[in-house]
Amino acid sequence: MNNNSYNPYLNAQAQFDRVAEMIGLDEATRELLRQPMKEYHFTIPVRMDDGSNKIFNGYRIQHNDARGPAKGGIRFHPQETVDTVRALSMWMTWKCAVVDIPLGGAKGGIVCDPRNLSDGEQERLCRGWVRKLAKDMGPFIDVPAPDVMTNAKHMLWMLDEFEAIHGGRFPGFITGKPVGMGGSLGRTEATGYGLIYTVREALREQGIKIENTSASIQGFGNVAQYAAQLYQELGGHVVSVCCWDNEDKTVYSFHKAEGLDGKILSEMTDAFGSIDKDKARDLGCNMQAGDAWIEQDVDILMPCAIENQITMRNVGKISKQVKIIAEGANGPVNTEADEIIRNSGIFVIPDFLANAGGVTCSYFEQVQSNNNYYWEKEDVLQKLDAKMTSAFKAVSELSGKNNIYMRDAAYVISINRVAQAVKMRGWV
Amino acid sequence: MNDGETNNQYLLENLKERAKELECLYRVDEVLDDRRLSLPDIFRELTRVIPSGWQFPHICKARIIYENFCYQTPGVYSAFFSESSNIILGDQVVGKVEVIYAVKVDKGPEGFFLEKERKLLKTIADRIGYTILRRNMEMVLREWKTSRPSNGEKSRTSNEWMVMIDFVSRTDPGMLLYVCKQMINHLHRRGVKEAEEVLWDLGSNSRGFLGAGELNYPSEKLTLGNMDSISERTFQIASQHLSDSEITTRLRIWIQEAKDYSLIKVVDNINASVKEIVKVITRYRSITSQSNPHYSPMEHWLVVALIRRFLSGKLEFINVARQHLVIDDFYDVVIRLIFPEGSHGKVGGKSTGLFLAQQIIRKAAEEKPLLQAVKVPKTWYITTDASKEFLHYNNLEELNVQKYKEMFEIRIGYPNIIQILKNSEFPESIIKSLAMALDEFGDSPIIVRSSSLLEDQLGAAFSGKYKSLFLANQGSKRQRLDALMDAIVEVYASIYSPDSIQYRTERGLLDFKEEMGIMIQEVVGNKIGPYYLPLFAGVAFSNNEFRWSPRIEREDGLVRMVMGLGTRAVDRLSDDFPVLISPGRPGLRVNQVPEEVKRYSPKKVDVINLEKNVFETVEIASLVKEYGKFIPEAHRIFSVYQRDHIKKAMAFDMDFERDDLVVTFDGLINDTSFVKTVDLIQRNLREKLGFPVDIEFASDGSNFYLLQCRPQSFGRDNAPAAIPKDIAAQNVIFSARRYIANGIITDISHIVYVDPEEYSRLRELDDLMNVGKAVGMLNFLLPRQRFILMGPGRWGSRGDIKLGVQVSYSDINNTAALIEIAMQRSNYVPDLSFGTHFFQDLVEANIRYLPLYPDDGGVLFNRSFLTRSENILARLLPEFKYLENVVRVIDVPMVADGKILNISMNADLEEALGYLASYSGEGIPGYSEAEDKKAVKSSEPYADDRFWRWRHYMAEKVAARLDAQQFGVKNIYLFGSSNNGTAGPGSDIDLLVHFVGTPEQREELMTWFEGWSMCLAEMNYLKTGYTSEGLLDVHVVTDNDIDQKTSYAAKINAITDPALLLEMKN
Repeated sequence: MNNNSYNPYLNAQAQFDRVAEMIGLDEATRELLRQPMKEYHFTIPVRMDDGSNKIFNGYRIQHNDARGPAKGGIRFHPQETVDTVRALSMWMTWKCAVVDIPLGGAKGGIVCDPRNLSDGEQERLCRGWVRKLAKDMGPFIDVPAPDVMTNAKHMLWMLDEFEAIHGGRFPGFITGKPVGMGGSLGRTEATGYGLIYTVREALREQGIKIENTSASIQGFGNVAQYAAQLYQELGGHVVSVCCWDNEDKTVYSFHKAEGLDGKILSEMTDAFGSIDKDKARDLGCNMQAGDAWIEQDVDILMPCAIENQITMRNVGKISKQVKIIAEGANGPVNTEADEIIRNSGIFVIPDFLANAGGVTCSYFEQVQSNNNYYWEKEDVLQKLDAKMTSAFKAVSELSGKNNIYMRDAAYVISINRVAQAVKMRGWV
Repeated sequence: MNDGETNNQYLLENLKERAKELECLYRVDEVLDDRRLSLPDIFRELTRVIPSGWQFPHICKARIIYENFCYQTPGVYSAFFSESSNIILGDQVVGKVEVIYAVKVDKGPEGFFLEKERKLLKTIADRIGYTILRRNMEMVLREWKTSRPSNGEKSRTSNEWMVMIDFVSRTDPGMLLYVCKQMINHLHRRGVKEAEEVLWDLGSNSRGFLGAGELNYPSEKLTLGNMDSISERTFQIASQHLSDSEITTRLRIWIQEAKDYSLIKVVDNINASVKEIVKVITRYRSITSQSNPHYSPMEHWLVVALIRRFLSGKLEFINVARQHLVIDDFYDVVIRLIFPEGSHGKVGGKSTGLFLAQQIIRKAAEEKPLLQAVKVPKTWYITTDASKEFLHYNNLEELNVQKYKEMFEIRIGYPNIIQILKNSEFPESIIKSLAMALDEFGDSPIIVRSSSLLEDQLGAAFSGKYKSLFLANQGSKRQRLDALMDAIVEVYASIYSPDSIQYRTERGLLDFKEEMGIMIQEVVGNKIGPYYLPLFAGVAFSNNEFRWSPRIEREDGLVRMVMGLGTRAVDRLSDDFPVLISPGRPGLRVNQVPEEVKRYSPKKVDVINLEKNVFETVEIASLVKEYGKFIPEAHRIFSVYQRDHIKKAMAFDMDFERDDLVVTFDGLINDTSFVKTVDLIQRNLREKLGFPVDIEFASDGSNFYLLQCRPQSFGRDNAPAAIPKDIAAQNVIFSARRYIANGIITDISHIVYVDPEEYSRLRELDDLMNVGKAVGMLNFLLPRQRFILMGPGRWGSRGDIKLGVQVSYSDINNTAALIEIAMQRSNYVPDLSFGTHFFQDLVEANIRYLPLYPDDGGVLFNRSFLTRSENILARLLPEFKYLENVVRVIDVPMVADGKILNISMNADLEEALGYLASYSGEGIPGYSEAEDKKAVKSSEPYADDRFWRWRHYMAEKVAARLDAQQFGVKNIYLFGSSNNGTAGPGSDIDLLVHFVGTPEQREELMTWFEGWSMCLAEMNYLKTGYTSEGLLDVHVVTDNDIDQKTSYAAKINAITDPALLLEMKN
């Protein structure tokens, strides 16, 4: 591996060091938290469909479990590197801490490309992975979840293997299960709703009535659709939605000054997140260029598509009216543009707080699984609201009190919480 | 009595007559089958039974004459009117059956006897003949059995040939003569002296057929009276010189040959019409009830003659086909053949392909029971010359010259031709046959397919050039017949369509005497609500040219399948996706992530609407909601999508209202023999035919139907390209030897090269992401389909940006090819993605994919060209200048003396080459057959430059008439394909207007352009056949845009492909 190349682990450590410096963390705690506490590297032999044997490499990296059982996804990736997994496990620790759920951080993976494997081969691979780790994982030690290229199918195979080894039913061993097989209701809505809970609180702190606000959303996938619906239910006006049009292979912004109906829009959206143009026109939308979403005179911008969408190219087009940017996507603002936004005084709800609804719901799934008692959807969403609201308040309060940028405040609060836990346990 | 009642009365009478005839036939059969009766008894009994089937039974009498005896209904003395039919045994008339009216009866429109009655009489005579034959054989057999000694193999065979001679002498004197001659000939050749004596008896000139010398006068006719003694002597001599078993074997072969002889006579006669051949084949089938396992040159000859007659005269084809066909097989065709009087036509290409495939599969099924379930839908064929006859019948021969007219004349004339043809009539005999076909189809929907002589030949696939039309086939018989004839005419008309004429012109086939055969096929399917559709249908290719995993071999094949009619699987879709499977590797599916499975699943289905009598496309979601429970085997078609999960559907647990059902065919693939069947069919056909094929199939849920079979189409897209051998090393950019698909990409003007090493050196996440951004913007700026993307590892990789440039499909959708480079890292070579992140998008958009392994032995990778050529990135995208080391944009003609890049890919050789050559196809080295006979010359359709030249010219004309002051226009520019010389027949003319006027002026200006646009569109249509609302694509930019270089303003003074300033009126 090229030493000069981009290394996500070094990146994550640098980020940690910066915040550690900011809060004046002691040397021992820094040393403890800037690297994973346990790493498992192992091989998984798999009998392939054609009778041959192939050896795969597997990992599990537990960054920290001071606040509770480690939690994090399993990635199937053709060129997985340990450093990527290390970085991701660290981010998991901070992510759980920022919403204050009692879980630590971990990540795992298998170096493979599932597109080259049949279902049978994938099943044997999943079971092989669990066999290697059966003693070092479990509902109260380390709880895996789906991640890149893995889904409920794999989780159920893994759960079954774990239960076969331990002799019993332990649905809390893993999350991301389908409803009815130990999954939680409300997962579909969780991230989008979570985003709006934080927006609602941000508006409340600024003394703005949500009924008097308008928003522009980039993307119209799962997160954006539920965000639009809840925002509108609370009284807000979505005036612009920007999405990919699979027919024309381009991006359009759908605009309607008096506000779009999120629910109706969702109904006319296909699996690509493309809105039906004709139906939208019938609704009274006018269509604009793809990047028009960022220029709207609205109060709130919600980038919910992919990374790196607000850059030096378009950051200058943001309207003076914009008061809040709520990051529904991961890393939608690049570093340079973030500097401009930080100085502009726009209130930013950083990604790992704004889209923490997902991980919170995973935590709820684990709780329900451990109790073998499953809540109604309303209960799930109500508890989600409570968690997100208090998480937001804590970050915002810290940001206000110490006059630091929201993004920094979120890091500070989560690293602080973990540092406190390791100290209280007497580790350092 | 009103008309309706008369009609009913008539129908009723008619029905009664038919019932009577049937009853009569039953009774005749009963008598004939009664083994207790002797032949004379049978005849006597028949004369009593036969009259009951006639119109006036009480006055009708019957008479049978056999072997000089006469049997008749009591009381026949004289005949007023009579009708008779001969009883035939072998080739001989041995008697006759006669029906007589003893008193005068009224003459009907069909004569004294009805047409049906004549047929009935003929049938009865045939059956009597058959019964006599059977009785004779039984007798012979009995004698043979009784005379057979209880032990000794030798005597068994000795008796066998004696019995055969005995049998032949009783039943078929002609045959006896033939076998005697053959035997004498044979003995003579063996040097048996006595044989020569017999020869003299056979006639003084008989030496003639010893081959002793050519004779120039006719031979004397043999007197057959002494045949018996001749045969006795012949075989006496034979038994002294030959073993019994040899005599038996030879006899068997000769007898079979003699039987074939009558068929040969007809088939060989160039004047024999299809009708006669149909007759003899049908008879041949009834004689040879079981197939003869012995090889016979005669049968061989016949099969070849029949292939030539009905299927194809091409030698390569005959060579293959004769190995898989026997005479009997042709029966399947001839019983459902529609042909004009005196026809000499063939069944056409498509029918031939299907017929041969059907026979191959049927024979393979004997060893592979799985194939027994493969069926072919009920099919009627119309011979190719029926189309000619149709023109002739309507005095429309003038249409033959249509193809030589100017393209615009052809285009203007075409709608008119359709109308003329639609108002023409079919000959009566064809209409009758079509009506018969419809009777057999009932009211099942049918498809009328073209099956022309040219179609489906290697190298000219003609897919989609000739029409195939679905018919709902509902309504009264008259309506259905009219619809059918209309459809046939429309298929005929497609011979004159501009598209097909152009296609033939391009391939040099215009002078071929094209004739159109027709295949009328029952549509496989089920009725679901008002719709009729197959449960699933699709196409399967022997060769997989779109592999999504390195574990898939090219020979593993590819299936594109959809729910409903296969039309959606055959064509590339712009708005939907078929399900892809590789039958050799069914476990490796393209899409793994549940969202992707859902996203790339078929959303629409083609159906026949039985109520509206039309072909329709409907949304699967709405079909399922309304009629889900009527869909058979739904659990094999759909899976249930839940967030993060694709759940297997259970037969009795599907909620059609609420479940999110996604077409995956998972149940069909995993739990049925479907994939195995397709794989087996493909492998069998490829092996037996000797070339890769593409087949169409459909299923109604219970049966698998083969609909079409042809050589895997060698279109421009996927023909194996010749790999030029004489390219100078400095002109080669790269070569590749792994996972190569077929195809050729020409005239690439720009290469976007993301340097793998530099890319891996980027330290900041933002920088890595910006590489993707830059690529996305280049995708917008560079000429569409004229640039390629080359980069490290996995394009569009998610989860780890280091593995490949992070792009979405919209960032690459204009590229001609996506190339992934697997550059050796310290100790391993990274896996490539095979474009899987947007695989199905690439397939449907025909963006080619190519993996490069520069560190492999034996391949070339011109790194210095890619890294040292001038990089124009900074001029195109100044803000990404700092990525110059990583992203390199090479203007190929600029750095290579006007040369462009071509990429030739040949999957058969597993070789690809990217090389510099002169512009526009000329530089593609000519390839001779000898160099690589698998290569098909690409006919780059836009290689000629007339499309852009015309556009360029017209743009100048439009600008020259534009009053700049009146409309407030400062400048007008031409850009895009009409400017850079890449315009095809369907391209827009992109104009860029620098506008400085008032809103009113702008409106006027746009109206002015609108008129031009529509006018140009019409002209373009006449030239090319491409329809559009308008041809001008006018983009207005303002001073502000130009200052900021936003949107299209960036084209003005751009580095590559800058917009061209046009001159205006003032």
